[in-house]
Amino acid sequence: MQKKVHYLKSGLLRLSAGLLCFSFAFPFIASAQTDTTKKLKEVKINTKPLPNVQSLSPIQQVSANAFGQLSAFNVADAIRDFAGVNIKDYGGIGGLKTVSVRSLGAGHLAVLYDGVQINDAQNGQIDLGRLNLDNVQSITLYNGQPPEICLPARSFASASVLSIITIHPNLTAAKPYQVLLGVKGGSFGLANPYLQWQQRLSNRWSFIINSYWEKANGQYKYKVKGDGSDTSSTRTNGDLNAQEADGALYYTKSDSDKFNLHLNYYNSDRGLPGAVIFYNPVSNQRLWNRDIFVQSGYERLWQSSLHLLINTKLSQDYTRYTDPDYLNGQGGLNDRYNQWEFYLSGTLSYHLLSNWEISYATDIALTSLDATLYNYAYPTRFTLLNVLASNFNAGKWRFQGNLLHTYVDEWVKMGSAAPTRSIFSPTLMATYRPFNGYDLQVRAFYKDIFRNPTFDEQYYFAVNGARNIKPEFAKQYDAGITYRKALNSLLDYVTLTIDGYYNNVTDKIVALPNQNPAISSIINLGRVDITGVDAGLKTGTKTYDGWRGTLSVNYTYQDAIDVTDPTSSFYNQQIPYTPKNTIALNGGVDYKQLGLYYNQVLSSSRYYLSENLPENLVDGYAVSDVSLIYKFLVGNKPAVLSAHVDNLFNENYVIVRSFPMPGRSVLLSFQIKI
Amino acid sequence: MKNLKQNILLVAAALSLILTSCNKDKKVTPVATPVTDGLYVLNQGLFNDNNSSLSFYSYTSKQVTPDIFNSVNGRGLGDTGNDIEIYGSKMYIVVNVSSTIEVVDAKTGKSIKQVKLFNGSTGRQPRDIVFYKNNAYVTSYDGTVAVMDTTALTVSQFITVGRNPEQLAVANGKIYVANSGGLGYPNYDKTVSVIDLNTLTVIKTLTVVVNPQNVVADNYGNVYVLSAGDYSANPSSLAIIDDNTDVVKSQTNFDGSNMAIQGDNIYFITSAGKIEVYNAKTQAISNPGFITDGTVITTPYCVAADGTTGEVFVTDAKDYSSNGTLYAFDKTGKKEYSITVGINPGKIAFLKN
Repeated sequence: MQKKVHYLKSGLLRLSAGLLCFSFAFPFIASAQTDTTKKLKEVKINTKPLPNVQSLSPIQQVSANAFGQLSAFNVADAIRDFAGVNIKDYGGIGGLKTVSVRSLGAGHLAVLYDGVQINDAQNGQIDLGRLNLDNVQSITLYNGQPPEICLPARSFASASVLSIITIHPNLTAAKPYQVLLGVKGGSFGLANPYLQWQQRLSNRWSFIINSYWEKANGQYKYKVKGDGSDTSSTRTNGDLNAQEADGALYYTKSDSDKFNLHLNYYNSDRGLPGAVIFYNPVSNQRLWNRDIFVQSGYERLWQSSLHLLINTKLSQDYTRYTDPDYLNGQGGLNDRYNQWEFYLSGTLSYHLLSNWEISYATDIALTSLDATLYNYAYPTRFTLLNVLASNFNAGKWRFQGNLLHTYVDEWVKMGSAAPTRSIFSPTLMATYRPFNGYDLQVRAFYKDIFRNPTFDEQYYFAVNGARNIKPEFAKQYDAGITYRKALNSLLDYVTLTIDGYYNNVTDKIVALPNQNPAISSIINLGRVDITGVDAGLKTGTKTYDGWRGTLSVNYTYQDAIDVTDPTSSFYNQQIPYTPKNTIALNGGVDYKQLGLYYNQVLSSSRYYLSENLPENLVDGYAVSDVSLIYKFLVGNKPAVLSAHVDNLFNENYVIVRSFPMPGRSVLLSFQIKI
Repeated sequence: MKNLKQNILLVAAALSLILTSCNKDKKVTPVATPVTDGLYVLNQGLFNDNNSSLSFYSYTSKQVTPDIFNSVNGRGLGDTGNDIEIYGSKMYIVVNVSSTIEVVDAKTGKSIKQVKLFNGSTGRQPRDIVFYKNNAYVTSYDGTVAVMDTTALTVSQFITVGRNPEQLAVANGKIYVANSGGLGYPNYDKTVSVIDLNTLTVIKTLTVVVNPQNVVADNYGNVYVLSAGDYSANPSSLAIIDDNTDVVKSQTNFDGSNMAIQGDNIYFITSAGKIEVYNAKTQAISNPGFITDGTVITTPYCVAADGTTGEVFVTDAKDYSSNGTLYAFDKTGKKEYSITVGINPGKIAFLKN
């Protein structure tokens, strides 16, 4: 939504445009937490390690061992091959990267870190470029929601869920510790040393500490299109200096009785290179983030099948944004934002019958935002979520249904608060396995969900208190087929998935640039109809004389059209920044300890504005990455050496207009396990 | 390298068959044909999108040439063109965020010089331009008025005025500059700087209602300064300054914005989106509803009158992010025709033979 704001006459919107565009505040890193439910629920269907594609809701997963193959440096990189995923990347090492799933917009995706949501109440979008992979075990995208039901209520409260699971200590008494040392470096002046220390304290207690330091000058070559110059320039003011420390203490009495406590600190200082303005490309904007959270989780499973899950989290996210070039006569902008959140979640589930489980979850969140802005509302939001969910298996059928109730109340110190909201949201999912002996599954789901307006949409420069904005609703209808087969030929396995979907967004919250801030410039205007197809193929060979090959291909088709106003010039036209076709391919060959991988993302052209006119076209692109990974022993210590070349063919492209992407870049990394 | 690239891209190409993909750059062959009577519309485009453009409409051929600056010069105007004026044989396009003044041949649109207005590496953000005795005077958001010789096209000096000056107007050998302070929200400026054109110094600073933006001068010794107010306690207001004594004669609440003067008629747009006319001779609103044929304009954005033909032009910015429309009305307020222009059409310049 942001950044379309055009408002130069009074300069006010100019300010908000700049801020909305660049302060993408409060993406926080890491929240970690109890993920233990996953382990308990895992059902071994096949002894072969087949990719997990068959679930009630469409699911796509990538694990730590594949990050290298994907040439992935952060969470955004790791999931860019997923079907249905559209990453908005402002470019560069510190550039904002947000994800829209199935054209619904970043605000409809919940990002869970070890089961607990990373919440950005201000902008509603998480910068996935900030989420480092060093301590990540797996990343899973669920369309709709996860198939398990003993989960915090927030897991049910978004159109899609991206679940990030961190590495948990897994040590024996014989070797009670493990230290991982690594360093990455290369283009952009990047130096990124990291450390992971796992320690077993006793039978029941263990901890893990992850920390890294990332420093880069962020410079890269790019070519501007349209300003008449044909020479390449260097992108400057994209430097980054970030540190993160994450510590987790685990208590495991048994798989059925465990507790953890997590503490996370993230600090960063970065330049914001800004849009490349023709003839005036210099930016001196800066962004500081300092986020801290503590969270804990407790899980207990009794013999009676009663299952309890409790999570808490307390977080503070501080953001400071400066622009010394802003001509306000006060030496520029210097804005500070502070978000606080207290979160408490409790879930109980119980098997009424062996094939019938019910659960009840309650989440409470109290979120407030302070900002050094004139007349700011200083909002506090109380959110109460209640979910009643049920899983039921009957022969070839599996069903899941839930009803979520959301209650939101807000207070402000200035102006008027948004009205109280009370909304019921249903979800129904079903799968059917028609043939015995075949891993073929048919699935369908329906989900009716909404996103509440973000604090920015509700209060940011809302001159007369809160804007009168309603929540944005998204209805999803999905039907798909999954098939997987373990093979005894050259190929080891094959999995195929295809899902067709129809999404309908109503009361879409859109920012209307406006000359007069007294008139609300953000309103519930849009209606979007989205028809799409996600298809995926995964296969791998058996190992022959040390050789093994893997291939995965994902295809996305999205017809996402604006159906707001039949009289408008863009009625029935594709919404901005939404390619009709996207293909992502990853293939690789392993030979003994050596692996060579190739990743290709192809995106068709997009429009950067609502009107599908030739002058509003952003060209499609084809970007290739290559990774070479070598695993070896230093003494008896396992080590990994890898080299990545991103944008191998030095494609000059943009994803977001005026924000050029980097050309060819190189990343080298070394890691050793002690 | 090239070969390898092609080979590997074959795979990509095969896969991309279904992609609607890659639209090739539409290279428009530069056309520098001289144009005669007509008008230019400067479209601001959108902040950060570098899509400001210039549309030309020829009265004789009745044809629109969209984005004529780009097609003639092979490059874009940049970000947020804010003002356009023709002086002599040259046309001056003031591009705000790009911080340039594009000086072009008024008849062909061909670039003569790109004047950069920078303070070190920081753009001054020029806003508005006027002319007096072969000099151009340009306000910039950094609180200056640049003085530029229209022959040499070099800036000789910067006159310091108030904060974030917007429009300026020449009257009685002086320049009146509206200092909006618009970027200092909520701390707006509320002054008008009076510059003596002989000494090129500020000789007086007048106080008006907060956030003054529009300035026009009439033939009766009046300078009109329209303040937008602060959108809450202070509504928009019109100050009338005596250009002899340089005092504010009157200051009254005034529902209007985007003033433009032609002869005795001051056209402006009300908050309800109506086009009204204030008469400079009678000092009263002479026409509270200029459009008489029921033409509906979604978002009136700019109004201008052609002194020769008596026609009045009103642009429609629609949703502020789609291509706009230019409506032509005869002097009785009846629509003659309309044409499609670019995004946020904010200024019109008339090309005379």
